[in-house]
Amino acid sequence: MIRLLGGTLVAAGAAWMGFRASAALKARARALGEMGEGLALLEQELELDSPPMPLLMDRLILRSRGPAKKLFQDCGRALDRLSEEEFSLAWRRLAGELEELGEEGRQALMPLGEVLGRCSCREERQGVEGVRRRLETLRDRTEEEYRRQGRVYQTLGLSGGAFLVILLM
Amino acid sequence: MMGYCQAAEVLPPRLRRAALELSDEEQAGAEELRLRTGLPMSAVFPQGERCLGGPPVEPRELEQLVELASRASLHAVLDQVRRGYLTIRGGHRLGLCGTAVVREGQIHSLSRLSSADLRIARQVRGAADPVLDSLCPGGRLTDTLILAPPGLGKTTLLRDLVRQVSDGTGTAPLRVSLADERGEVAAMYNGVAQLAVGARTDVMEGCPKAQGLMLLLRAMNPQVLAVDEITAPEDAAALETAAGCGVTLLATAHGRDRGDLVRRPLYRPLLEGGLFRRLVTIRQRDRERIYEVEELN
Repeated sequence: MIRLLGGTLVAAGAAWMGFRASAALKARARALGEMGEGLALLEQELELDSPPMPLLMDRLILRSRGPAKKLFQDCGRALDRLSEEEFSLAWRRLAGELEELGEEGRQALMPLGEVLGRCSCREERQGVEGVRRRLETLRDRTEEEYRRQGRVYQTLGLSGGAFLVILLM
Repeated sequence: MMGYCQAAEVLPPRLRRAALELSDEEQAGAEELRLRTGLPMSAVFPQGERCLGGPPVEPRELEQLVELASRASLHAVLDQVRRGYLTIRGGHRLGLCGTAVVREGQIHSLSRLSSADLRIARQVRGAADPVLDSLCPGGRLTDTLILAPPGLGKTTLLRDLVRQVSDGTGTAPLRVSLADERGEVAAMYNGVAQLAVGARTDVMEGCPKAQGLMLLLRAMNPQVLAVDEITAPEDAAALETAAGCGVTLLATAHGRDRGDLVRRPLYRPLLEGGLFRRLVTIRQRDRERIYEVEELN
């Protein structure tokens, strides 16, 4: 009975690892998509009336979701501490904390702090557009990877679990 | 002193600490803080400019100053920066100098900042008191031109005059529309006037004066139209149009006396057309400002 229980737990654990790897890919694709949407909103607001950064962040917080909302909220707070930390550094730090974007997503987002609030609206929009396109490419690639690898991870998890059960029993 | 502390908030931390080390009396008297790269910060007092000591200002500190003054929103104040200054909360003004980036013959922005001038705004409430009665005979405001050389307080007088007639001091409360092209009268910041211009005053900022006057006339149904510094024939033409619509005019111009107005082709039509009924001239004797009100026509 105990062996059966142990075998079941091992099988479930291996399957869970497979499903978890698959779900992580899906979550990253979703986070990259939400971040891209957030940057698209940022472009729109800059195009509309190029509001000052605090107002811009307030507007974006209301309309964005996921990691984009978190980033804009944190940036809004960082604007109150500009004498302690420059905005470009704060953006870089806060973008670096968005684990859900993956390493490449974070690296793509970080340099935007050098553009935001430091040049003309047109140059800012160009900068944001470039990063948004990069994030969209990463999202598409991650989705493709999820379609290709996700099933593989799940199957590997299940079959690995079954294999271990057979081996142990 | 409160205005001084508020203005100093935009300085990078090291410079802010140095600025706040001045005594209360010095803070109350300081008119400007000047930052030049490679030199220590200095303060301008009525008696002159004085170095505040300490390490020299670094280029990076000037960049930080702009970031703090604009709240990391250069894109939103770039038009002001192109004109060489930006207005900050409290109506203080940050003048900037550096290398102009010119594109297609126009100044696009300033790079490699070399110096900055933080001018501390101070509203002189009651500046119009000495002339208000003369300008409102029988409680009715008359068309008035304020004339003085630069630096004698034309804008200060106009601002207080606008505030008082808008709030109904010396006259019934009047709807005032103010064409504030350079943002010096009301010092708008995020849509809020940083210097009191009265409860019934509408401000059109950043717009060329002539266009601003016409816009205000059409859009805001003013009883009084106010404009700082008539400098171009279009401004004079816009005032003539406004006068024809039954609006009372308040304006300022550069000049020493009535003779200056008569001599200059720009102002002559304003006098000949009878646009203004009162002329206020400002002169300085010792450290005291003297206002003279003259009836025109």
